[in-house]
Amino acid sequence: MKITDACVYPYPAGDSTPARMAFEARDLGFDSIIAVGAGVRPSPGAEVLRGAVIGAASIKDVLKQVRDPAVRRADVVSVNARDIAFNRAVVSLKEIRVVRGIHATQRNAFDHVAARSAAEHGVAVDISLAPLIQLRGTRRQRALQRYADILTLQRRYGFPLTISSDARSILEQRPVRDVQGLCGLFGMTGTEVSEALASVGRLVTPDSPVKVVR
Amino acid sequence: MKPRPPAMRTKRRYILVRILPYGMVADQKQVYLSVIEAATSLLGDAVVGLAQPAVVSCDGGYAVVRCRRGSEADITTALATVTSVADERAALRTVAVSGTIHALRRRMKPIRPAQDPAETAVGDGCFTAYRYPRQKVDLLEKGIKHQKLLFFTEADLEER
Repeated sequence: MKITDACVYPYPAGDSTPARMAFEARDLGFDSIIAVGAGVRPSPGAEVLRGAVIGAASIKDVLKQVRDPAVRRADVVSVNARDIAFNRAVVSLKEIRVVRGIHATQRNAFDHVAARSAAEHGVAVDISLAPLIQLRGTRRQRALQRYADILTLQRRYGFPLTISSDARSILEQRPVRDVQGLCGLFGMTGTEVSEALASVGRLVTPDSPVKVVR
Repeated sequence: MKPRPPAMRTKRRYILVRILPYGMVADQKQVYLSVIEAATSLLGDAVVGLAQPAVVSCDGGYAVVRCRRGSEADITTALATVTSVADERAALRTVAVSGTIHALRRRMKPIRPAQDPAETAVGDGCFTAYRYPRQKVDLLEKGIKHQKLLFFTEADLEER
């Protein structure tokens, strides 16, 4: 699991089934994808992991939704980012692995305090390629600025990054080479892109002491 | 006018792109307009003006995009931001970059439906199924306008 697309939305949320997206991801150079809101079964394409995205208005709602059985079954649990207080609180929850949608928040919504906390707890920040591909004009420029800010914080504090296409169709999935080109727009180097694509493996199976099995 | 000698001509690069979805009949001019819109929006007029992108050919599900040598990385990134061609959802996938069109022709492997189209029902809708190699099935909703396009596999259809 070295190269992972950190979030796709298969059928019925999108127009492509998980198996078809897995086939496409394999052709595009990915080892695995995280499918949100779909049943997961073995696929001859890329490996399909189960993901859950929590969209909550308060930290209390997040704690309530984390106890949901569907969320507990997920391999990777993500939360949509909101204001600064929410983000600072959410990066310290042990059930949460990824904070998503940073580009849609205010400029100060993810600051050095949240970055340090994310690094301590091993919580990743997601970089979605969807705004870079689908938006035009000032909205895309704002997303690029936000990603550049996140990259500056990441270089200083060392929290993990993930990269997702947020694809709802095979037409929205992009090859690894294009991912590198798009991430290069806001200053990400090839090595950083490779690390970000590989970070999902470390989130799913974090470093832990060796267990002796008898 | 006498043509420039080869050493003085502008060096070019040719990018082979595959047009998705399969079976989409794309007009060369429409592909050019989509590429220019995406590149100008992403890179700006100055960079695109120097890169001189153009669509040389568009046939069999593939298009060849020409640009100046040294700007192929920028144009390839811009091609990744194309989301529609002539108001239809589409994607342009870069297959190869070369200095000659002849080298790219060898990389073109047209994908045709494996069988004749068949009718199938998914949910409440009735779809025409186009089967492609490696279990891929494209479903086109039967109707006149706002036709839904779904992307399934053989296994997904058997489960329903």
